[in-house]
Amino acid sequence: MAEEFSTEGMLDMYLFENEQLLESLQETVLEQKDAECFDEDSINEIFRAMHTIKGSSAIMMFDNITAVAHKLEDIFYYLRESHPEEVPHLELVDHVLEVSDFISNEMDKIKGGSQADGDATNLIAGMDKFLKSIQTGGASGKAGVPETKHEEPKHFYIAPVATSASHFYKIFITYHPGTELVNIHAYKAVYALKELAEDLLYSPEDIVSNEESAEVILNDGFRVLLQAQCSEEDIRKIIGVGYDVKKVDIYECSGEEFLQGFDFGESGPQIDLESGVEEIEQKAAAKSEQPAPAAAKPAMAPGDFVIKPKESGRPKKLVKEKPKPSEKASFISVSVNKMDMLMDLIGELVISESVVLQNQDLRVPGLNLTNFNKAAAQMSKISTDLQNVIMSMRMVPLTNTFQKMNRIVFDVSRKLGKDIEFEMIGETTEVDKNIIEHISDPLMHLVRNAVDHGIETAEERAASGKTEKAKVTLSAKTEAGKVWISVVDNGKGLDRDKILKKARNQGILDETRPDSTYSDKEIYQFITLPGFSTNEQVTEYSGRGVGMDVVVSNIQAIGGNLDIESIPGEGSTMNLKIPLTLAIIDGIVMETGRSTFVIEMNVVKEFVSVTEDMMIHEPNGDEYVMLRGECFPVLRLGEWYHLTDYKKNVEDGMMVILELEGRAICVLVDRLIGKQEIVVKPIPSYVKKVKGLTGCTQLGDGSIALILDPSGLV
Amino acid sequence: MDELQEFTDPYSADTGQEEEQEKYVTFKSGNEYFAIRIEYVSEIIQIQPITMIPESEDYVKGLINLRGKIIPVIDVRLRFCQEPFEYNDRTCIIVINVNSTIVGLVVEKIAEVVEIREKKTLPQSSVGRSDKAQNKYVFAIGKVGDYVKLLLDPERLLNDVEGPSAEQAGGEPALKEEEK
Repeated sequence: MAEEFSTEGMLDMYLFENEQLLESLQETVLEQKDAECFDEDSINEIFRAMHTIKGSSAIMMFDNITAVAHKLEDIFYYLRESHPEEVPHLELVDHVLEVSDFISNEMDKIKGGSQADGDATNLIAGMDKFLKSIQTGGASGKAGVPETKHEEPKHFYIAPVATSASHFYKIFITYHPGTELVNIHAYKAVYALKELAEDLLYSPEDIVSNEESAEVILNDGFRVLLQAQCSEEDIRKIIGVGYDVKKVDIYECSGEEFLQGFDFGESGPQIDLESGVEEIEQKAAAKSEQPAPAAAKPAMAPGDFVIKPKESGRPKKLVKEKPKPSEKASFISVSVNKMDMLMDLIGELVISESVVLQNQDLRVPGLNLTNFNKAAAQMSKISTDLQNVIMSMRMVPLTNTFQKMNRIVFDVSRKLGKDIEFEMIGETTEVDKNIIEHISDPLMHLVRNAVDHGIETAEERAASGKTEKAKVTLSAKTEAGKVWISVVDNGKGLDRDKILKKARNQGILDETRPDSTYSDKEIYQFITLPGFSTNEQVTEYSGRGVGMDVVVSNIQAIGGNLDIESIPGEGSTMNLKIPLTLAIIDGIVMETGRSTFVIEMNVVKEFVSVTEDMMIHEPNGDEYVMLRGECFPVLRLGEWYHLTDYKKNVEDGMMVILELEGRAICVLVDRLIGKQEIVVKPIPSYVKKVKGLTGCTQLGDGSIALILDPSGLV
Repeated sequence: MDELQEFTDPYSADTGQEEEQEKYVTFKSGNEYFAIRIEYVSEIIQIQPITMIPESEDYVKGLINLRGKIIPVIDVRLRFCQEPFEYNDRTCIIVINVNSTIVGLVVEKIAEVVEIREKKTLPQSSVGRSDKAQNKYVFAIGKVGDYVKLLLDPERLLNDVEGPSAEQAGGEPALKEEEK
């Protein structure tokens, strides 16, 4: 920024607003990437977004962003005003995405405190070319002579697809002389007719933009050509004679008459496109499903409109697809710091609540605590509610994260020339904001892998006789206090032998163990090791062997885990299991020696008291316990952490069976204290990391307990 | 505090005002008095129940709960490789904040807050004997009246010795053995 005055606050606002705009822009674009063209709403939305970005960037003096936004705005202005046909939709999508990438890139630079110095010349030139091409190539809409000035009435040629159910109507609406803004009334009628129209044109054509058209309508009437599967009655219902409409004449006509446009027997030269029309007539008469635009094209005269046939039954572009629900919840944006502070405070409240309710002073025998207990119960209820509310405030739907993946699939699959369908399930699943931040990168890796490694090329698919379309599914659900996110592809699946071979080459395999003893799961886990990639070719997206190990370590950092399933030839599934929230967990409090420990409740399978004769002692010091015919390894917590004064005899202590990822372990502790909701706090970073501890928490009496990390023990 | 001020006041007459004046919290550990610049000290609290952390260095005594904040505490005597001592009700925890790392120091006894005007920065070799572990953390010697206080560098105290005395840390065990 070159300006002298402080733009700090403005800059934050600018970045925040534009980020949101870009996000919704991308969403809109991707939603409609598979459509034939953008519908009116999204054209307007993109136009508005670009307009806003252009304006605010100009104020902030980011010239390159302004220029790019301006160019894209131009394109969408043209689309909005002229409704050109034959817009190369994918190319347009590319342009929009490029622009949004460019802008977010620049905004990242600005955020990082550097100059927004990206060069947009190429981008702008590309869009210029595109704009020119749609202006000249598609239809000569804008170049067409405006209705009011031209000498001869404009003709519309259409090549509709006739189906048996379709009727063609010529509608002639006369308005009462003196009706004001008659062009708007006419537009109302058109708008109403769109609802049932398969094809619709009207004259004068520029009723909305040109106020002079009102006069033309008053004098000459308003003419509409309609192809629809409805009766005359239906039309009359829609444009009934009223205070404004004086007369509605409806003539049903044949397909060929329809093709001839607005010829109500009035003046206006006939169309001199005999050959073309003849062909169309034939086709129409034959009720062919095949559109015949090619026939009409060569003879097209400049200034005329060619309206491409639509498959009947499919909604026309002008016709609104579905009105989007416009319910707007009101939001305020709060700084995350404040939220965290609130979270901390509520954590404190929960703790001090238990300090009060479990106070030593209450343990005096013979106290009558009835009223106290009532009040206490009420308070507990409120604090639980409060906790739930703050939790829900931190919960954010995965929608945005998933949308980003949509974008990645789109980009990567196009670059690799794979035709891939992307499906999202359960994207509204809500998870803690902290978690969203952590899973975005891992998910990106997984999705890329699925597209790049998982899905075969079209030829390979054809060769292996797969008929269904390549598909990547991203789904999310909550279950048992965890979020399950899975990335499923229907590609070739993981190659067990290839992974084994690679593992052998890298010396990971235990050579004394025969290959067949490795379970599929074990083998698939190899791909999560650093530097392990079975893709022979390093592509732009994957194959360097970094990635899966990063995914796993990121996921583990938030207490989650990755599970890989695969069926050769049918695809693979990557399951992420992540805790819903990191902040407050249900824990079991227990004691060993003079230390108190807490363990997350979900991993505790059961508690058992064991007797000495159930123990098995190995000569090397390992111990096992036999329980109902099952053998569990034993970990004596006191010994593990070299504590003092812990109970050495198993019969005095308590066994806690933990189960994690299919493995179980028995942990011997002195005694159990109880179940408690605990607020997880990190162990201060000054203390070096201890294996098996994830954090600490404050107990009801104000003392501190250490939180055991089951994955560090198992 | 007032008393302390009076105690230090007489000395202000002898020394010039232009000399550096800094307030230090002094405490006793073993036979010596140590001082920490008051800017580092956020508060002084009585000894509290400490939750030990398994598998950590012996001088890291564990964690305490300081009004909802969980902070680690280290035993200064153990940090200086002195004999451990029994905690009693004179035992205090000095909570210091060094570059946003908050740590509690368990000390035998808080002595006083002093203004040290005359500060002698001594070359490392002359600050006592180099075989004393505590000297790694002492950056200067301050004179208060007739007494000498060892001025501690809290950064060195927390982060295992970096900087000028790092080389000495290596030679230290050997010297210790000689002593025995």
